[in-house]
Amino acid sequence: MMILNCPLMVSVSNSYYKLSEAFLGISTFTLLYSMLLILKLIEIWLQDVESSRSFMDDIYSVETEKCLSALIQLKNSVIGSNKQKGNAIQQGVIPRLTQLLGDYEQPIDIRNETVIILGSLAKGTEDHIKELIKSDIVPLLLNCILSAEDNKFSENCLRCICSVFKSPSAPVHLIFQDQSIIAHLLSLIMYSISNQISITVILSTSIKTQKHQTMMWDEGAVFSLAALLSSHHTAVLMPTLSCLATLCHKNKPVAASVATASFGGKSVPDLLVTLMSRDKPTEMQLASAKCITYLYRADALSAEDPKILYKTLPILVYLCQDIYPWQERVEAAETLAYLTEVNVELQRLASISNHLITVLTTFVNYKGDSSLPIVKSEEIRKELVQAAFRVFASLGSNDEDIRKKIIESENLVHHIVNALDDSSTKVKLAAIRCLHSLSRSVQQLRTTFHDHSVWKPLMRLLENASDDILTVTSSTLCNLLLEFSPSKEPIVEAGAVDLLCNLTRRTDSALRLNGIWALMNMAFQAEQKIKTLILNNLGIDHIFRLLNDTEVNVVMKTLGLLRNLLCTKPHIDYIMNLHGSEIIKGVTMILDANHSSEVKEQALCILANIGDGDTAKDFIMNNDDILKKLQEYMTHHNVKLQVAAIFCISNLVWKEESGSTERQAKLKELGVVRLLQQLYVTNNTTLFDKVKTAMTQFSDP
Amino acid sequence: MSCNDKGFEVINKNDWMRKLENIHIQRTDMNKLIMNYLVTEGFKEAAEKFQQESGIDPSINLNTMDDRIKIRDEIQSGRIEEAILLVNKLYPDLLDNDRHLYFHLQQLQLIELIRQSKVEEALRFAQERLSEAGETNPSILNELERTLALLAFEEPMKSPFSDLLNQTHRQKIASELNAAILKMEQVESPVPKLFNLMKIILWAQDELDKKKVKYPHMTDIGTATIEMPK
Repeated sequence: MMILNCPLMVSVSNSYYKLSEAFLGISTFTLLYSMLLILKLIEIWLQDVESSRSFMDDIYSVETEKCLSALIQLKNSVIGSNKQKGNAIQQGVIPRLTQLLGDYEQPIDIRNETVIILGSLAKGTEDHIKELIKSDIVPLLLNCILSAEDNKFSENCLRCICSVFKSPSAPVHLIFQDQSIIAHLLSLIMYSISNQISITVILSTSIKTQKHQTMMWDEGAVFSLAALLSSHHTAVLMPTLSCLATLCHKNKPVAASVATASFGGKSVPDLLVTLMSRDKPTEMQLASAKCITYLYRADALSAEDPKILYKTLPILVYLCQDIYPWQERVEAAETLAYLTEVNVELQRLASISNHLITVLTTFVNYKGDSSLPIVKSEEIRKELVQAAFRVFASLGSNDEDIRKKIIESENLVHHIVNALDDSSTKVKLAAIRCLHSLSRSVQQLRTTFHDHSVWKPLMRLLENASDDILTVTSSTLCNLLLEFSPSKEPIVEAGAVDLLCNLTRRTDSALRLNGIWALMNMAFQAEQKIKTLILNNLGIDHIFRLLNDTEVNVVMKTLGLLRNLLCTKPHIDYIMNLHGSEIIKGVTMILDANHSSEVKEQALCILANIGDGDTAKDFIMNNDDILKKLQEYMTHHNVKLQVAAIFCISNLVWKEESGSTERQAKLKELGVVRLLQQLYVTNNTTLFDKVKTAMTQFSDP
Repeated sequence: MSCNDKGFEVINKNDWMRKLENIHIQRTDMNKLIMNYLVTEGFKEAAEKFQQESGIDPSINLNTMDDRIKIRDEIQSGRIEEAILLVNKLYPDLLDNDRHLYFHLQQLQLIELIRQSKVEEALRFAQERLSEAGETNPSILNELERTLALLAFEEPMKSPFSDLLNQTHRQKIASELNAAILKMEQVESPVPKLFNLMKIILWAQDELDKKKVKYPHMTDIGTATIEMPK
């Protein structure tokens, strides 16, 4: 064949080329030649289909030698090539392979080659794995492992399961269908490094519930994992750490046993600290810090532990820096948010460590990477933003100075407000959590929050959102409705009463609580117009239902709402005139029921408010049952209840008010004055003051 | 070391040697370093003998050394397909996990076909086995174009891409594969530890020189000769 000798360079380009096109780049001289080659290729391809057919046929052979050599050919064909894997699957090899694998009569060589081929197919595309899952490969492999006598064979089976489990559609729950599977897996773990890797990967991807954690614990997984923490191999340590973290996540008994387990004279927390040293790969430091974090949050370590203060927290802060890959930064920040969520000392320490707040501001201001596709860039941005918001939410949950520091970061509130409309729920939720945390600041409510009209997007979110978003949004709104918040008025005008009343009708108790709480805040020192709006919207029947709620906090806030509604004389008389008998009935119900003294105190305070009205007083004076109850509470063993009852009495007998003489006479007749005189000997100063005030009302002019 | 106005005090050789003698080194540490060297560099028989005589555990199965040596030989003598079959037999995960390495082996296989002027076979091979790799990865496509361009020359050795036909290219791929296998075998570093130790000595001397410290140098690493600088 003639070949042209042309010293021309190939044009090297990144654009997509078919093989034949690569030749076109060389020169037109070779064009003709290339075409000849293409024709040749077609010829070759036709022959090829024939030749590949032969070994594909032989895998069905009953002759062991023939079958084995065909399997080896098939193996060499599929390893490393998704195209060949696809071809093999299309030609229907999977049923034959699973048949060979499950046939205990077959020589171990055949079964070994078979599982290796299946393992290679599982390293193909997601579609390839799905085909394997459809053929029930996982139960088959588990059976093979349980009955295998050959260690190398079970090692290959484990590797295959491990590859299948990388797919999100893998039936990972099958591992937990039987306690004996876990026991068997753990018994194989020390056989080889390959087993250590496969089994820890399999276990860490399959633990999903508390029941799974307990099953693992029952089989002594903690001790196997503790032993593996001393491994020198990164490939073993990484899945071991992730398995350990999933094992103790939010599980106190398991975490407690992990924290006390030891290997080679070193406790697991100490082993974890060695894996956090600076000479270890950063992802290993991160994974170990995560384990310690989970141990602490499951109460197995204390917040003052030096392992947390001087090791875990600084490492997590350190790994947030932009010199590290974005996945690690996101994970470090998320773990840090979880670590500091409930402890103010950790929040303070983190906030002053290594410019954390400034570093996190760079997360929020991420501008994207021009070398990446826009979709990818956007995904990274979302992950970074939500991680930063989560840390801000944790850091700002208690300390006013930290909140101030966070709010003062460049453009932050602007970013939070924008994120409330983000398409990703994860980002949205993180933004609301952050806002909720910052809304605990009186100063921020008065300034920044109002300036940015934060309430507007929040109100939008209340209209149609999932329950978890609603919960955080409504508690944030609760804070925005506090009386000193300048946002209160616009929120009410935007129709919040309707939305909040609807929340009190939800089945989720957290939503009912937030709804009634926000209404209570709204009613505080409000105009009569707003109060009427709330009353009409809720309806007296529903208020009754809320007073009977199973959640005691809902009952408390409903009573609080009534107290706030029944404030200032004209409002008290107006509302009592409309709903007096129902309200008295509600209060009586609370006082009769088996409630804590905090709840009863609220009910007595409502009576005291009613006693402060003009015409409203009659609702108490004409109700002998209530008067009797007041006297009982005057001598109650709980001082707070005594104080509330006496406060009500003073209001009833206040001497400058019309009709006071009659009321005084009636109460004197009932023996109230005698009771008051007996209480004069009290040591409690608050009670003494109240008694004295009440007595002065009774004294003659 | 005390310091005066003229800089650091000069340390004489006797003091230096005395100080060195006071440092105790464990014999087993020495043996381990030597074993590590033998194993990593592939001196199998020496390693076996050394294991018998010193009782040091070679930390990997010495039989796998045979395999590694065999695979390396196959590649260096151009029998790529045999090498791939052997790799798939011994480490069935390796080439599925490292597709780029697999491509390099296949590319080498293609180069061998071109070297033997088996044009039809080369084309068939490229079409069947290599086109897939080029479709997913632009940098692979680039390497593939360079390789296939060899076909356009009557004397590929005189072409601008002749570097691919050099023995050094085979060696390069052989080491890439060897390193991947060692990693698979969970050997932490494919470089002997003794090598790092030597580097540390040279680095430390260099640092001291930069600070103009006068002290006895190790002037010849091979014989560990220590001399005062002139």
